[in-house]
Amino acid sequence: MEFEDLQVIWNSQHDEPLYGVNEDGLHNTLRNKSKQFRRVIFWQHFQTFCSCTIAITVITGLFLLSVFGVLGNIGSSRALYGWELAALLVALICWLQFGLSVYLGNRQQKNREKHETTSLRDDLDKEINRTKYQINTRAQIMQGFVPPYLGSTLFVITVFGISGISYWAIVPVVIVMITALIVESRCQRRFVKQEITPRLRELETLREKLTTAPCPESNSPDGNDIH
Amino acid sequence: MKPTEQQRIFEEWLGLHRGLLFKVVRAYAFNSHDQDDLFQEITTQLWNSVPRYRGDSAITTWVYRVALYSAIGWSRKEHRHHENHQSIIADDRLLLQKPSAANPQLEWLYEQIAQFDEIDRSLTLLMLDGFSYREIGDTMGISQNYVGVKLNRIKKRLTEQCTKEHNHGI
Repeated sequence: MEFEDLQVIWNSQHDEPLYGVNEDGLHNTLRNKSKQFRRVIFWQHFQTFCSCTIAITVITGLFLLSVFGVLGNIGSSRALYGWELAALLVALICWLQFGLSVYLGNRQQKNREKHETTSLRDDLDKEINRTKYQINTRAQIMQGFVPPYLGSTLFVITVFGISGISYWAIVPVVIVMITALIVESRCQRRFVKQEITPRLRELETLREKLTTAPCPESNSPDGNDIH
Repeated sequence: MKPTEQQRIFEEWLGLHRGLLFKVVRAYAFNSHDQDDLFQEITTQLWNSVPRYRGDSAITTWVYRVALYSAIGWSRKEHRHHENHQSIIADDRLLLQKPSAANPQLEWLYEQIAQFDEIDRSLTLLMLDGFSYREIGDTMGISQNYVGVKLNRIKKRLTEQCTKEHNHGI
């Protein structure tokens, strides 16, 4: 039995297709998957966009009301002290920084996705890089979320101040925020450890299988075009 | 790219290269449910790949690469979540195996291919479908010499196995 005989067996399937395709089912599946994917991406962006827009608008509004002297004339509120204005400014910068970093991160990721790969090895390399990026992003979630959390805390302190609420009332708010940040960070780390790191290892193993040459038993290929 | 254009190209590719997709499905998935699932995965990836195709490689090579990469990725996921994939309603199936296409010799050949690891399986499919060493090297991203060494071993293993198993009618 020669390899050519196996080739004949292989070619026999060209005479008769192995399967029939449920065309309607396929189109429905593709349409649904595509819709689902777009919906997930839209909601992710929408949530970040909304939270940033609301925070920035409210902080800027309060800042401007105080700067133009409107705040002191509304009900029982007073004008902001200098340090409170500074705190609002820092809060604004924190939220702007967060919004910008999310926007730039998404854009970078989109550009990476656009990069055309030319081989299976390229595909694997791209996937490995994407997985590493996910690991880094999730590992640094604590640092990533510090600016919006800090911004929110400064804003709440200022609001408490002008509303006449004791500054001590901020303590439970800060505790809740820090706890939430720590819990989120731990969840992300667990996810990285249990899901993403094994995926990265598998990808690297595959890449190794693809690129590590076997011990050359025979180095002279007997077919095709390299002699 | 407009969705209608994407749809047109996808349908054209699917019409011309569905045989190729079937081979990849059969080499990487071993029961009807898995074959259906993998076909769904491959077609989804193929659909997503349409706007990325710049015409630098032949369409066949592109479709093969997308299919193989999807199959390799699917194998990893399928391996991890195997227990979650048990139920499927027959009417929802996308692939319907044709009884007339049953061929014991071909079945045997697919069984042998299934014993290779994911990478060697890809190389075997490309080789059996008549791609040159250079094309295989370009598709996989490895050197022609390395392709040669790998394929030599695969050919040797397949022919040895075939000689051993006369009772399969080959």
